[in-house]
This record gives sequence, structure tokens and C-alpha cells, in this order.
Amino acid sequence: MARLVAKAVSKTYGATKALRRGDLEVEAGEVHVLIGSNGSGKSTLCKIVAGSVRPDGGQLLLEGRPMTVSGPEAARKLGIGIFYQELSLAAHRSVAENILLSDLPGGLFVNRGALNAKAQRYIDLFQGVTGDDFHADATVETLRPDQRQLVEIMKALSSEAPVLIFDEPTSALDRAQVDRFFEILRRLKDDGRSIVFISHRMDEIFALGDRVTVIRDGETVATKRIAETDPAEVIRLMVGGEETLVAAEPHQPTVVAATAKTVLAVSGLSGAGFRDVSFNVAAGEILGLGGLHGQGQSTVLRALFGAPSPTSGSVQLNGATLNPSSPRATIGRGLAYVSGDRRRDGVISGRPILENVTPIHAVKQRLALASPSALRAKAKPALEALRTKFATFNHPISSLSGGNQQKIVIARWLIDRPDVLLLDDPTKGIDLSAKTDLFQLIRKLAAEGMAIVLYSSEDAELLGNADRILVFNGGRITRELTGEQRTRFNLYQAAYEAGEAA
Amino acid sequence: MSTVEPTATKRFSFMDILKAPLLIAIALIIALLLLGEYLSPGFASGQQILRLLIVAALMGIVAAGQNLVILGGREGIDLSVGGVVSLAAIIAGNLMGGENSGIVLAILGCLAAGAIVGAINGIGVTLLRIPPLVMTLGMLGVLQGLLVVIRNGIPSGRAAPGLSQFVTQPVFLGLPGIIWLWIVIGLAMAFLLGRTMLGYRIYAIGSNEQAAFMAGMPVKTTRILLFVLSGMFAAIAGICLLGYTGSSFANVGEQYMLPSIIAVVFGGTALSGGKGGYTGTMAGATLLTVLQSILTTVNIDESGRQMVFGATLLLLMLFYGRGKALRA
Amino acid sequence: MTTDLVAAPHKRQAHGLKRAIERFPFLPALIILVALLVLNGVYQPRSVSFVGITGLVKTYLALMLLAVAQTYVIYAGDIDLSAGAIVSLVNVTIITAMTALGGDTGAVIAGLGIGLAVGLACGVVNGIVVAALRLQAIVATFATSIFFTGLALYVMPVAGTPAPTAFWRTYGGRILDIPFVLYAVIILAVLLVVLARTKLAVRLLSVGDDQQAAYQSGLPVTRIRLQGYALCGLFAALAAFCITGDTASGDPLVGGKMTLNSVAAVVLGGTALAGGFGTVTGSVIGALIIGLIGSLVFFVGTPSEWQNLVQGVAILMALMAGILVGRRARR
Repeated sequence: MARLVAKAVSKTYGATKALRRGDLEVEAGEVHVLIGSNGSGKSTLCKIVAGSVRPDGGQLLLEGRPMTVSGPEAARKLGIGIFYQELSLAAHRSVAENILLSDLPGGLFVNRGALNAKAQRYIDLFQGVTGDDFHADATVETLRPDQRQLVEIMKALSSEAPVLIFDEPTSALDRAQVDRFFEILRRLKDDGRSIVFISHRMDEIFALGDRVTVIRDGETVATKRIAETDPAEVIRLMVGGEETLVAAEPHQPTVVAATAKTVLAVSGLSGAGFRDVSFNVAAGEILGLGGLHGQGQSTVLRALFGAPSPTSGSVQLNGATLNPSSPRATIGRGLAYVSGDRRRDGVISGRPILENVTPIHAVKQRLALASPSALRAKAKPALEALRTKFATFNHPISSLSGGNQQKIVIARWLIDRPDVLLLDDPTKGIDLSAKTDLFQLIRKLAAEGMAIVLYSSEDAELLGNADRILVFNGGRITRELTGEQRTRFNLYQAAYEAGEAA
Repeated sequence: MSTVEPTATKRFSFMDILKAPLLIAIALIIALLLLGEYLSPGFASGQQILRLLIVAALMGIVAAGQNLVILGGREGIDLSVGGVVSLAAIIAGNLMGGENSGIVLAILGCLAAGAIVGAINGIGVTLLRIPPLVMTLGMLGVLQGLLVVIRNGIPSGRAAPGLSQFVTQPVFLGLPGIIWLWIVIGLAMAFLLGRTMLGYRIYAIGSNEQAAFMAGMPVKTTRILLFVLSGMFAAIAGICLLGYTGSSFANVGEQYMLPSIIAVVFGGTALSGGKGGYTGTMAGATLLTVLQSILTTVNIDESGRQMVFGATLLLLMLFYGRGKALRA
Repeated sequence: MTTDLVAAPHKRQAHGLKRAIERFPFLPALIILVALLVLNGVYQPRSVSFVGITGLVKTYLALMLLAVAQTYVIYAGDIDLSAGAIVSLVNVTIITAMTALGGDTGAVIAGLGIGLAVGLACGVVNGIVVAALRLQAIVATFATSIFFTGLALYVMPVAGTPAPTAFWRTYGGRILDIPFVLYAVIILAVLLVVLARTKLAVRLLSVGDDQQAAYQSGLPVTRIRLQGYALCGLFAALAAFCITGDTASGDPLVGGKMTLNSVAAVVLGGTALAGGFGTVTGSVIGALIIGLIGSLVFFVGTPSEWQNLVQGVAILMALMAGILVGRRARR
């Protein structure tokens, strides 16, 4: 009998069906991997089990008995511990207080001695890999991202619950920390605990898991024994029938004429997270930025856009010096920047589509008045070019799917054509058909003479669209791939090989 | 264009009506007027309603500025409006000294004073990043001190007859000037928020400041402007208040400080910013005024009146901005 | 090369200050307090004498306690605009109760018990309204403040009923030749240290840090916030005892003006208005700063009509300076 069972669990947020039919069965003494692309509903399912999200339908069973989880506190009492992907730490509290937050030792008063001693037990599990300045009394605010993630792990472990859920617990950890963590998980498994583990790293999944459940578009599609499957099959299950959409159109590099004029020339650019970055982009060219995630690609693009400004180096736009002092300044000069983090940088949540699609037009044209009919007429072609699906301009942007929200945000840059389009992982968390629409448009824009810089965390997108690829490592450009060199093998090799050299 | 209906286009339902703050406020106003008429015949007579609207207009004008600051988000709030109303009433009284010839000067002086106070608030909040509550609370203390200085230094002035007439007597179509002024402000606010890029910008900043910045909007300038406008609206209300009372007295404006926030909330504007509008606030201000007036009409002690008022406010708040549940 | 040599020790120093302020968020406030004490002493030496300080404490003990009350709700990211109204209600309630019970020592003690109960009840009402019904703290506690003021007016429609002699004589008097208020301060200090060690304090701060995270961690967020308001009500009652001892009479509006000052004192003390960070010690210091600014403005000979303005400007400056220094040091 499975220890934890979720049957046809569902959840809807407003217009978005986050989870249509989540099924999950976890045995005692197994590591059960949950996998699915971004926005497929994994986290929602976990949060429902852990009590922090109220399900709309479905059933949960623990040890064969139906259970109703009234909240996180109740879940913990039932024996369910969870690591939250977005962390659940109190920044100003100490490491020890955070680890034992829901179960502080002592009665009316906090027993400091017992608190630190108990917390130390969990800290000791990671002895040698926690990094500097990590101790029970340290304030979480002062810790590095990987150390905070460790605190969240310790916090989940401290529940000592029979069911432990880890929602992407390794994203900020280094190799040694991951190894140690996996050791601990294996030990817990041997003790008979049930572990639900979410990760995007195929190697981790196959190294650690016993079984894997795949979720696609909010529905559980399959559960397989790890020993009886392989990464290719898991990916096939994850993407379903749509797997080949992006790859179906192999991109022949546009031969950028030698005479094509350089639109953007970056030289010796340095700032927080990148050093001495130089490159040119010609009109009609799509320049790709590659390498492992977080190697400075995104910060360079943001610096060019003025958010925040680079600390040194020079930028030439169409032959004239550009001082990227603020987004407002660079927008005025013809730059455009699309962030992959649309909820933070792009979407004006709760406001109508019209207000979300027109701000750049207003800035560029120095509009004082807003005439909805005139603005609608301006915005329509841009939205059509991206095949944006929406009911009316008055609907709030939050009523749309993630892909369509991102299309609205991109369309705002296309009403008045920019000279340079900076794309910072623009397809993060959007569906495949939206990605296809987006890249079709990007190639069309390039063909019409726009200079485009594309950073993507998905290699396929770079290989399929970029004319040249600059590989970043440790904040520097370490390799340039052109023409026939642009292969998945070379890209991987450049990303990792450079890492060893650094 | 592929205009496909989004997956869950909501049907207009009875629940939506219940959730529309403007409609709630108007329904409650009508209900209260009927209740007032029942408790004390004559309460809802045309003359009485006009008087109520004059008082509501004073509150509503203060709430216009408060509304803008709150819409701009980042815990925007202006506690100094009460001080500015008092200050403007005193400055206006002193500058006009009971003469119609001084009205223009008084208006200019008050608007300037309100703008300066607002600008200091705005600069403190944006450039020095002082939380709005702290900044405007400190400013309130400064203004209260300033009132003492002005009151002791110069004899308290009186309203010009023209001003009093404007506020209390019908000037056009049987409505007093202040009500026309309020209508004009209402139209101007609707235009500002719905038909200008500044309005779009205010909502954008209040809803997602980072996205607004990335879209090239001048976030700081806009926020300073909101505080300046708040100071100026409070100043206008102060001048009108002088016209209503005839002469200024100590801290007349204090009664507007927190009620102006409540009027905004009752109008359906979220204290978290980026959501709401002024039409609702006008109804909210009227609702508050009618409620207060009903309580003065019925024959109960001051203590009972306050208790009923406080309890009613709480009850009404249950209709409006209840916070999000912790469990999604 | 030289820049490195210069920069390194500076950095370490900044780090030290950062750590110090992290542990003692009230440090900037303490510096302002000491500076004000020195200035007061320069302009009026007697003001920093034993008698002078005792007088200051006697006058501002109520605000100190109310600032402490306010701190517990601000810890959790809430605010209580009814704190002053609670003071008024408790003030008139205990005087009425003590008088009705005969005004002797027994009556005074019973009155104090009733006062604490009233303060607690008000706090619980606020907690229910804000935490359980999820109304916005700032507007909801304003509404409850109107309700509490109404209650106070019901208990005592006009100001002026005197407090029993036994009560204010004790408050203003001496025990073993030491002023009573100093005992009160010592008891308060012990109480604050004890309370700082409770689970509740840690939980309130965690809720204020990130309410959603605290909830997801399994903390009973609603109950914790409610407890914060209850504690606030209790301390508001204590503040009312002090103000009753100081003024020796009942006034249904006596606390109204104190609410915003209590918020200012908390912010002056280095506590973050957004919650999650701060100390009650800072709030006590903040209240004293407000008091000392007032007396300094008087001692330097500011013309009477200018005193409020200078005081207002000085408090605004102190508020801004505290926030700016605290932020710079913690960066």
C-alpha cells in the first residue's frame, strides 16, 4: 500500500488551470521524482499535499486513509515536510531559528541552548560544504543563495516527517553540496522515509530516483520505474506530441553581408557579474549568448539597457556613443529589452491589455494623452504579428496564459521599431506554440534589418536561431561559435571546458 | 487577428455586482438616506442632500489627492493632508482678510503651500526612501507646529464673502459652486486616470514598479508629482473649508486625515496601489458623510454615536478590501 | 595598490558597524539619545540631574509603554492606530472603577486588574478584526479607535474626575527614598528582557519578515498576529496606568494624541515599519528622544509659539536620519 496517494487533484487560479488532474503515489522507502516543464503544475501539486494551497477537487490518502489537510501546520502534524522552491525563510532571523521555526524548543520561552544544539545537528549533516560564515547564529539575510537553500533543506529535514517533499532543492547548490544532500536523502530512504523530489537535472533524477512521475499541462501522464526507463523517454513524456516544434525548423545562418553595418558595438563592458565584454552586432544579425545559466549573459543585456548601468566600457549605437544610464535613456535611443522574468520586469499585473501594450509607444512618442481607439489601432499589428490570443483590449493581462502575456509584453516594443532588440531568455516558462510564434517573428525582424541579441537557457533555441553564438563563463566571453561550429556538442563543450579553465 | 476568447471569460453575474465597490457605495448611500428619512423626516429633502454634498465635497477633494498617492503604490499614504487643510485654511484667511479682492492671492498662496509640502513629502519618500507613513507623519508634526506659529503671529483671518457664497450658496442650476468644483475635479480625475499617459503611468507604478521602470517610465518624478497633487488638493479643500466655516480655527483639517483614507478604501481603491479610481472615492466620501450625518440626526449620546460609527465602518470594510487568504 | 590598502580596513569597519546594528538596531537611536542628553545638559544642567531625569521619565513613561505596545504589532508588520484610544478607555475605566469601589488600596488594585482586562479585550478585538477578518490594519484600527473612544465617552462623558489619592500619590511618590517611577522603569526593563526571550517575540518577527513564508513554514499566523495585538492592548493598559498616575484625573480623550507619537517612537528606535526587524528597547529610546527634543527646544529658549514647529522639524529630521543611517549601515 502506498504511503501517500494523490488522486485527480485539481486547482484553478482565476483563468489559469494550474493543475487539471494530478495523480501521485509514493511508497515508503522510495525517492519519487516528479518532473514536468515549467508551469506544468508540479509545485501546485506539492503545495496542495503540504497544505499551503487549497485544492479544488481530488482526494489525498495517507497510509491508506483519506486525509484533509487544513493548512501547512496541519500537514506538518500529519507528517509531511516540504522544501519550498521559493524558500520560506525569515531573512532577519538566525539560521537556528529558521531551521526550527515551526517547532521552537522550550515552553513559553525559547530555550536557546536546546535551539542551537538541535539546529546544530542538522547543520552538522552538511559539515564541510556549508561555506564560510555559516553557523547557527548567523542571520539568514547575510547568507549566500546556496547557503539559504541549505537552510531551507535543513528546515525541511527538521520536520523529521515520514513524507518529505523537495521542490527543486538543488538549483543554487554546488557539486559537493548536492552530493552531500543526496547522501542524506539515500540514508533517509533507507530509514523508510518517502521522498518526493523535483528537479530539472536529468542526471540527478537518474542518480537518485526510484520512480518518476511525469506531469504535463497539469495532468499526470505516466509513472515509470527509473530502472526501466531512460532520459529520452522521460523527455518524450514531458513534451508530448509537441516535442519537435522548435527543432522542426532548422535555421540556416543568415549570411550577413560583409557590408552590413554594425548597429551595436560593445567594447570592454564591465559591471556587477561580468567583465570586459566586447562584441558587435550587425543589422539583420541574430547574435546568440550561450553558456551555463547565470554566467553574466543576462546582466550584460540588462547593463546595455541601463538596469543597472555598467561600471565601465563603451557602447556605440549606430556609430554614436550610447550612455546606458537608465532604461528611459536607452529606449529613447532605440534599444529594446525583453526580460524572461515577465512577472517581475514586464507584466503590469491587474491592468488592461491596452495599458500593458502601449507604455513604450508612449515613452518614444512622448505622448501626454491616451486615446484608446488610436492606441488600439497602433497596437493591433504588433499583436497580430505575434499571433496573440486575447478577447478585448480591456481584459486584464492576468486573464491570459503565460505565453500570451509574454507576447503582449514583447508587442509593446514593436509598435515603434527599435534598432536593437535584446532578448533575455524570453521564452522562460511559456508554451511551445508561443515559442514558435516568437521565433518566427524574431527571424522576420532580423530579415527586415533589426539587430538582435538573444540569450536563451535552452540550447536548442540558440542553435536554431542564432547566426553566431558567444559562450559566456564567469562573466566573460570565452568562445565564439560561428557557421558550422554551431553544434550542440560544441556549445556544451565550450560551456563546460571553459568552466574548468576558469 | 485571432481573437479567441480566453479560457475563462467571466460572465457578468450577480456576484460581480456585489463586488463592484461603486455600486455598493451608491446602494448604501441610498439605503442610508432612506433610513435617515425614516428616522427623521426631512433628512433626505433636497435642501438637506445639498448640504450633505457640500460637506462630502470637502472630504472628497482631500480624498482625491489621497487617492492618487495610494494608487501610486509602495505603501503610498499621506497623513499630512490634515495638516495641509488646516494650513491652507489659515493662510487663505490671512491672505484674503475677509475681502473678495484677496481671493486670487489666497488661492495662489495656498496652492503653492500645498505643493511645497507635497514636494517635500515626495522627495523624502522617493529620493531618501523614507516610508510614506513615516515621512507624512513627521510632516504632520511640522505642519502642526507651523500652525501655532502662524496663529500666534498674525490674527486669524476671515473668509471673503465671495468665497463663503461660492461654497454655501447656489451659483448655477441651483447647485453651490463647491459642488460644481467637485464635479469638475471628478471629471478631471477621470480624464487624468483614464485618458492620459500620466494616468496609465500612475497605475503601472502602483501595480508593478519594476516593470514600469523597465518600460522607461519616470517612476520617481511621477511619485513626487502624486504627493505634490495631494498637497494641492488638500490646499483646495482647506480654502473651501474656510469658506464653509467662515473663519479658521485650530486644526480644522485633522478630521480629514484618516477619514480621507477610509473614503478611498470605500471607493474600492486598494491600499496596496495600482487598483481603483476616483469615481468610487467620490461615492465613498459621500457615504462617509451621510453616515456621519445620520448619526448626528438621531438622538443619541456622543458616545453611542461614536460606537455606532466605528462599528459601522468595520462592518462596511468587510464588503471591501479584505486581505488575501494565506492559503491560496 | 594603495587603494586596496585604504579600502580594506574601511570595509572591515563597515562590516563591524553592520553587525553591531544588526544585533542592536537601536544603536543610531541610542546615539541620538546621548547627544540630546548632552545638549540638554549644556543648556540646562539641572535637566540631566537625578530629579530632572526622574521628571522626564515620569512624564514620558506612558509614551514609552505605548511605544512598546505598538512595537509588538509592528513586529508582525501590522499597526495599531487605536493604541491611544485604548489608553483613554483604560484611563477612564480604572478611575471610574476605583472610585466606585471606594478608592482605597484594594479598590486601586482591583481597578488595575480591570484596566488590564479592558486593555486585553481591546487588543483581542483589534486582533480579530485585523488578523482573523483580514481587514487592512491601518483603516480597521482607525475604526476600532472610534469605537473605543465612544466607549470611553460612555464611561466618562466629560474629563475631570480625579483619580483616587492612593493611586497618584504612589505613582508620584517615593519608596525607600527612591521615586516610584524608577521602580516602574526597572520592572519594565526586566519585563521587556523576559518578553524578548519568549517564543511569541520570535514568531511575531518571523510573521513580519514574510507572512506567507511563515504560514508555509507551519506557523499559526493568524493566532500569532492576534497575540501581538493582545500584547499591545496589555501594554496600552500599562501606559494608561502611568498617564493616570501622572495627570491624576480621567479624560476620555487623553490618549488620542499619543497614537501617532507611539508610531514615531517605534520608527525612531530603529524598528522597521514593514515588520520583521526591531527591538522594544529602541522604542523606549524613541519615546525618550521625543521627550528630550521637547525639553531641549524649551531649554534653548525657543519662543513659545515656535516650540511646536522646531520640535516637529527636529522629530522629522531624527526619523529621517535614523532610517538613513540604519539603512546605510546595514547595506
